[in-house]
Amino acid sequence: MTVLDLQHVFKSFAATAALKDMSLAILPGEIHAIVGENGAGKSTLIKIMTGVHQPDRGEILVGGAPVVLRGTQDAQAHGIAAIYQEPMVFPDLDVAENIFISNRAEGALMNWRRLYAEAERLVEKLGVKLDVRRAASGLTLAEQQTVEIARALSLNVKVLIMDEPTASLSAHEVARLLDIARALKAQGVAVIYISHRLDEIFQIADRVTVIRDGSHISTKPIAEVTPDGLVHDMVGRAIDTFAVKTEAGPHGAPVLELRALGRTGVFHGISATVHAGEILCFAGLVGARRTDVALAVFGIAPATEGAILIDGAPVAIRTPAEAMAHGIAYVSEDRRKMGLAMTLPIFANISLASLKKLMGLFGLIDRKAEGQMAETYRKQLAIKSPDIGVEVGKLSGGNQQKVMLAKWLETKPRILIFDEPTRGIDVGAKAEVHNIIRKLAKEGVAVVVISSDLPEVLALADRVLVMREGAQAGILPIAEASQERVIGLAAGHDMRGAA
Amino acid sequence: MKKIGIALGLVASLMGSAALAEAVKATPGGAVNMVLLPKFLGILPFDQADRGAQEAAKELGNTGTYQYIGPTPENSAAGQIEMLTTATTQKQNVVMLSNNAGDQIAAVAEAAQAAGTKVVTWDSPIPSGKGESVFVAQVDFGSIGTVMADMVMDLTGGSGEFAILSASPDAANQNAWIEAMKKVLAADAKYKDLKLDDVVYGNDQSEESYNKALGLVDKYPNLKVIMAPTTVGIVAAAKAMQDEKLCDKVKVSGLGLPAEMVSYTMNGCAPEFALWSFVDLGYLTAYTSYMLATGAIKGEVGETFHAGRMGDFTIEADPGRAGAKRVLMGPFTVYTKDNVEAAAK
Amino acid sequence: MRLHPMTLRILALALALLATVLFFSTQIDGYLSPRMFTRITTSAAVILPVAVGQAIVVITRNIDLSIGSAVGVVAYLTGDLLGSHPDLHPLVVALIAMGLGAGIGAINGVLVAWGRVPSIIVTLGTLALWRTFLVQYSDARTITTASLPQWLVDLPQANAFTLLGVDVRVTVVLAVLSAAAMGLCLGRLRAARRFFAVGSNPDAAVMAGINAGVVVFLAFVLSGALAGLSGFLFLAKFGNITVVAGMGFELKAVAAVVVGGVSILGGSGSMLGVVIGTVLVDTIDNSLTRWELVSEFWRDALLGFLIMAAVTVDTFMSRQLTRFARKEG
Repeated sequence: MTVLDLQHVFKSFAATAALKDMSLAILPGEIHAIVGENGAGKSTLIKIMTGVHQPDRGEILVGGAPVVLRGTQDAQAHGIAAIYQEPMVFPDLDVAENIFISNRAEGALMNWRRLYAEAERLVEKLGVKLDVRRAASGLTLAEQQTVEIARALSLNVKVLIMDEPTASLSAHEVARLLDIARALKAQGVAVIYISHRLDEIFQIADRVTVIRDGSHISTKPIAEVTPDGLVHDMVGRAIDTFAVKTEAGPHGAPVLELRALGRTGVFHGISATVHAGEILCFAGLVGARRTDVALAVFGIAPATEGAILIDGAPVAIRTPAEAMAHGIAYVSEDRRKMGLAMTLPIFANISLASLKKLMGLFGLIDRKAEGQMAETYRKQLAIKSPDIGVEVGKLSGGNQQKVMLAKWLETKPRILIFDEPTRGIDVGAKAEVHNIIRKLAKEGVAVVVISSDLPEVLALADRVLVMREGAQAGILPIAEASQERVIGLAAGHDMRGAA
Repeated sequence: MKKIGIALGLVASLMGSAALAEAVKATPGGAVNMVLLPKFLGILPFDQADRGAQEAAKELGNTGTYQYIGPTPENSAAGQIEMLTTATTQKQNVVMLSNNAGDQIAAVAEAAQAAGTKVVTWDSPIPSGKGESVFVAQVDFGSIGTVMADMVMDLTGGSGEFAILSASPDAANQNAWIEAMKKVLAADAKYKDLKLDDVVYGNDQSEESYNKALGLVDKYPNLKVIMAPTTVGIVAAAKAMQDEKLCDKVKVSGLGLPAEMVSYTMNGCAPEFALWSFVDLGYLTAYTSYMLATGAIKGEVGETFHAGRMGDFTIEADPGRAGAKRVLMGPFTVYTKDNVEAAAK
Repeated sequence: MRLHPMTLRILALALALLATVLFFSTQIDGYLSPRMFTRITTSAAVILPVAVGQAIVVITRNIDLSIGSAVGVVAYLTGDLLGSHPDLHPLVVALIAMGLGAGIGAINGVLVAWGRVPSIIVTLGTLALWRTFLVQYSDARTITTASLPQWLVDLPQANAFTLLGVDVRVTVVLAVLSAAAMGLCLGRLRAARRFFAVGSNPDAAVMAGINAGVVVFLAFVLSGALAGLSGFLFLAKFGNITVVAGMGFELKAVAAVVVGGVSILGGSGSMLGVVIGTVLVDTIDNSLTRWELVSEFWRDALLGFLIMAAVTVDTFMSRQLTRFARKEG
């Protein structure tokens, strides 16, 4: 008996078919992983299951009975809820209210005391420490996600869809989330688990479905698949899973040097040198303040102690403009907030940071040159889009990342900082981004990569700087960096002896 | 019932009689397309002017069109400019304008004149006089000062404190009237015991005028009269005094509409106020406009013409606006409980 | 002790009001008097309902600029109705006024919630539309006190009760009751919490299964109904209603709401804050009128400056108090 069943679902947007004859059967109490490249139709599939979109053709069955889901409210009424990669919280409401906002089982009046007590119980059940009375604004991504999971739990769901739930979590938070997923399964809840992290899928999934180009490719018990096989099914071609780097590449003179850099109350004592052609990776758990170091170097939240040296000379960086003048570029994690103008077309985003170059007669923008610039990058970085006039907001996450990268590459930076460059990007696009980063280093750019994805760190880095709670826990040459060593440092335990 | 003589009104009528023999008469039956453009639609005085203008058009046997159009209160200035422009492109012969757009409208009015559309102002002129053929003035602005001073004399019994509640600080009409009143007070010894405490502005909003009136009462404990030369201000002030049961102590006066003031005049909160007839103003404006458009008069200073039931009028230099011309209507009617009920109907 | 940020905001706002009152009491003779209390409360009472309605709309990340015309239309139509039916029960009259307002609000609501037109455009349009309707409908007739029943003309002077020699007028009680009722609903009614959710994060609201359209629609209906109540109070207070009635109320309401600490970006705000904000703006306005030191021409500028100062002090104080409370906590 299936709990949720999609039968021959079709969905098109304008001329583009997002789902073609998609069928999917979910059993109660199973963890069902869904994998697929970006643009494979995962987002549309989730939106169909949660009632945001309605299928053009095909049927949805809940508990064997056909249903029509006209909105998220309908879906919730049928016991289907979802948590998303970009958490959906209400910044002005407090945590408890955020958790219970969808709950209709309660009476018409608010019982604040009970609300807080219940919220505390739910949050505790997730094994998290969180003040349920504080406003949700200012919560970290991981905390926001906890709120979202608690919200879904409060609804007593039968099917919980998790869309890239671990993309922003650190290792021990991931472990906790997987525990929660298993607990839900034990209670008979079906968990639909969508992730790019194959290792997680092999840890918890009972069955795995691969989709590609809006169609169902395969559904198999996890025991019958291998990682290579899954990747093959996803991309429709064989691909090298990225190898771990064992030796640092050749590099040139020091370009960026941090000396005991700090910002009062945020982080302190960060010392490192990045040479031309070198890739330095910042590893650490979420909340280790790695991004804050990047923000200091880029002048968004300037450092208050220590020194930044460029080419051996101390510089003062108080604004992003000053940082850019020194040849620094910052490709941020939060594409929506800091990186891209979602409503502008691709070409306008790419040219945004280098408009001066395009200035023609009377200071007007040379449209032709702007178009050529964008077109070059579209080809070079393989941005998947019919043309450069498409709004960036309409692109997939991986392609948005490439647009942002193109924007910064055009400023011809000497120092390039990537913050979680492949967060929420599928395997194929990930490898492409990695190749681009390696190529840039080879061309002599000093590269800093902040990543929570340990395999990514080990695949890219020449050296790994591990941070813990705002301080530098250690800096390791790649030859000495093993998964265990890095995680150990990040968690406050150097496993030198064990490694 | 009292009548207040108006010195300048008298002068005007004397001039009129001197020129009586030469007074030009209108040739009825002409085709003049007319537009009456008030500050905005929806309030009584402008509708009365419309009535007067229609009466004149009928009397003159005008075979052209007559339109009464105006903007909404919220869009007054911009709406007037737009409507004057439209009237110009429609080749209207004359637009009768109660200007609420200050000198902003001057350029549009000049363009209208250049295109052959005459612009005759009434009630409120174009401050610079640019683009305006002639201004039909309701009363001599100087004489309003005398009327206001005399009403304060009456209500205070000859001595005491009073204050002025005006419209907006930049309302050209009211400012001119207040200046005229100050001059009158200073010039004649019989007003020496009257003391003007303050001038405040209610911006022609009920609520602001109401609050400002109460503010005056609180600020000046010996206040005897609130003089409000604005139809919105006077009624708001009267209601405020009535609500606060202050009508025995503080009287309200100024310029008001009988229909709106009747209950306050009858209950003694506003025993005496003044106003001219907007029906007559509309009538005279339409007469003047018709004769200008038919070429019976050129709009030069010194020209005298006959305006139907209202008698003879002469175009003269406007003493308040250098280079501008006016036709002076006058006089006032002062309303008390003896005549207000009849006028309110 | 750990104070909620909103509590801190209210506290800071109350301090700003207290500072304003203390300052003017040193400047104006007889300022701290029952009479001054009546002046300010009765004046604020007319604005308070529209400010409360505006706050609800602003909380949902919208704005209602049409309320000035709504107040005028309701005041006029209600006055007109009373002219022909002077025997209507006062309660019925008030309900009719609120019903008329709610109807006006419903039109805005439909256009914003389901027509997908930005609220600033919709309500700017209806602001002009209703004013034009009033011009057409009134045919230049003025509603005068003479045509109104005596109970309505007497309403502004009617005392609800006297406390320690201070008169509290019926209109003030009506206005405060409307604010208190809304405050209770927003804090206690589960469904009313959705106003905050929709304003705080509209996308998340949809994902959380909230019908954002219905929520926004209801916010406009409430705003309209409260504008109707203001229209009723306006009619009672001024008696004389022409087509300009209520002009500019939308700006006063927005000022009161912003001073009262409602986030113009939506999602947060409290009715207590709106009440204090309304009283603060009105206190400053009424006090300046009675202050010898400033001439009429500087009053508007000073009013704007003082409102900005009040907001700045309020923001600064909230921040300080938050820091203080954190340390304590």
